[in-house]
Amino acid sequence: MEPIIETRNLTRRFGGLVAVNEMNLAIERGEVRGLIGPNGSGKTTLINLISGVYEPTSGDVLFNGKSIAGWSPNRIANYGLLRSFQVPRLFGSMSVMENMLIARFADFRLDYRKDYDGATEKAQQLLEMAELDPLRDKPAKILSGGQKALLQIVRGFMVDNISVYLLDEPFAGVNVVVKETIMKVIEQMRQAGVTFLLVSHEMASVRRMCSRVTVMAQGARIAEGSMEEVAANPQVIDAYLGGKK
Amino acid sequence: MTITPELLLNFTIAGLMIGVLYALMALGITFIYSIMKMINWAMGEFYMLGSYVQWALVVFLLGADYWFVGIIGSMILVFVVGLIVQRVLISPMFTSGMERRDEYGTVVTIALSLFLRNLMTVLSGPDTRTPGRFLPPVTLGTLPVSGDRFAAFVGALLLIFLFYLLLNYTWVGMAFKASSQNRVGVQTAGINILRIDQAAFAIGVMLAAAAGALLAPVFLVYPSNGAIATVKGFEIIIIGGMGSIPGAVLGAIALGLTESLGSVFISSGLRDVFGFVLLIIILLIKPTGLFGERERLS
Repeated sequence: MEPIIETRNLTRRFGGLVAVNEMNLAIERGEVRGLIGPNGSGKTTLINLISGVYEPTSGDVLFNGKSIAGWSPNRIANYGLLRSFQVPRLFGSMSVMENMLIARFADFRLDYRKDYDGATEKAQQLLEMAELDPLRDKPAKILSGGQKALLQIVRGFMVDNISVYLLDEPFAGVNVVVKETIMKVIEQMRQAGVTFLLVSHEMASVRRMCSRVTVMAQGARIAEGSMEEVAANPQVIDAYLGGKK
Repeated sequence: MTITPELLLNFTIAGLMIGVLYALMALGITFIYSIMKMINWAMGEFYMLGSYVQWALVVFLLGADYWFVGIIGSMILVFVVGLIVQRVLISPMFTSGMERRDEYGTVVTIALSLFLRNLMTVLSGPDTRTPGRFLPPVTLGTLPVSGDRFAAFVGALLLIFLFYLLLNYTWVGMAFKASSQNRVGVQTAGINILRIDQAAFAIGVMLAAAAGALLAPVFLVYPSNGAIATVKGFEIIIIGGMGSIPGAVLGAIALGLTESLGSVFISSGLRDVFGFVLLIIILLIKPTGLFGERERLS
């Protein structure tokens, strides 16, 4: 089966630093793929490259077999590939509901009267799934860190044709209850057909959510397989603990 | 001069009126800055263009009775010019992955301001022109007010109100607000930030043009008439806080009142100095301006 997301020799340089180096990655449709690696290994840069925040220096990104390298982030998002950020990028002075609806309506071409009721209903369902519906009219800036992370994640599902979601450290700094809710949301949306790439340092969560895990170090892929397989890989142990000189 | 309560009231009203007009200019500057994170140093020249279009429309096409149609015409024309300028001169720095966009923006818009000012000198000559009187004098309570100033004041109030409605009660306005809070966030939510930038720039310069058109019979029409407006606009956004819409309105009113009351109590000759004194006092007390917030850089 053709992978839904594929990177081919994807490289990004910042001056003399090679942040992502000839990275090859293939994610199957319906998968929740884990992406782990020590700090500075290039995981977030890889997400920035796939989602269009950075342009690749060389190499290609294929989404449903089509090259999307160099596309703008909004074009990629509208094509069905969403991403979240480690530090949630919300619109603090706007209400939780407005944060949900903004992606849907901030398009000069839309007929708001026609779309509004359906979009509001969908937003309400997603907020209920994330247990944020009691806060729907509150400004986003008053939410806790975990609630902000949740809101950012469910906001992505407002894009109708979402098929891939790149989650950058969704569990960072959130409490156990919110973490469980995030995992529940991911599982529900996976069953609805969304493919996930999950970047996380929370090994227990990655082990629970992901059947396959890719390990990056120094901008390149060094291992791939089940969590047990990569955990036993000497290269991975070296990358995390420091290899012999 | 003896200061009577009536005189004080008159100068307060005059200060409020000019403050509302300053607000249009400051709103344009701060709106563009809040979305694009760059300062348009050519705002005064868009003010100047607005005043020239108003003069040309009234003198050659509409006649003095239809001055208000001229205001709308000036705004539409400068809006279109803004769309084109943004697309041709500003947009490339956002699409080419350029670093230090603010510096590029500074150089380009300063060059644009020189170009527009000199272009108008060539086309129209250095002469001072006037589109004629908008309205005959009116009386507010006991205060006789120039009809032109009153018309400009009412027009500016109406535009500020419409701008407020646009920002707070439309989805496009929500998109502007969201973009001002997080540019990357809106892009990855699927919003075309380049289109938002273009619309924001055009609306911002349109507000400056509206100020120019409304004030054309008061401050007259000549190639460098935007210079003072630019200085006032920048004073206001520093007083109110960079990127703050309420700050722009309240800062403008504070400046208008300071200038007007300073003229009564101290000296009318120092009118332009009072704004700078207010600015220095605000910076000493609150360096981010009245409504500005500290920016987290990392």
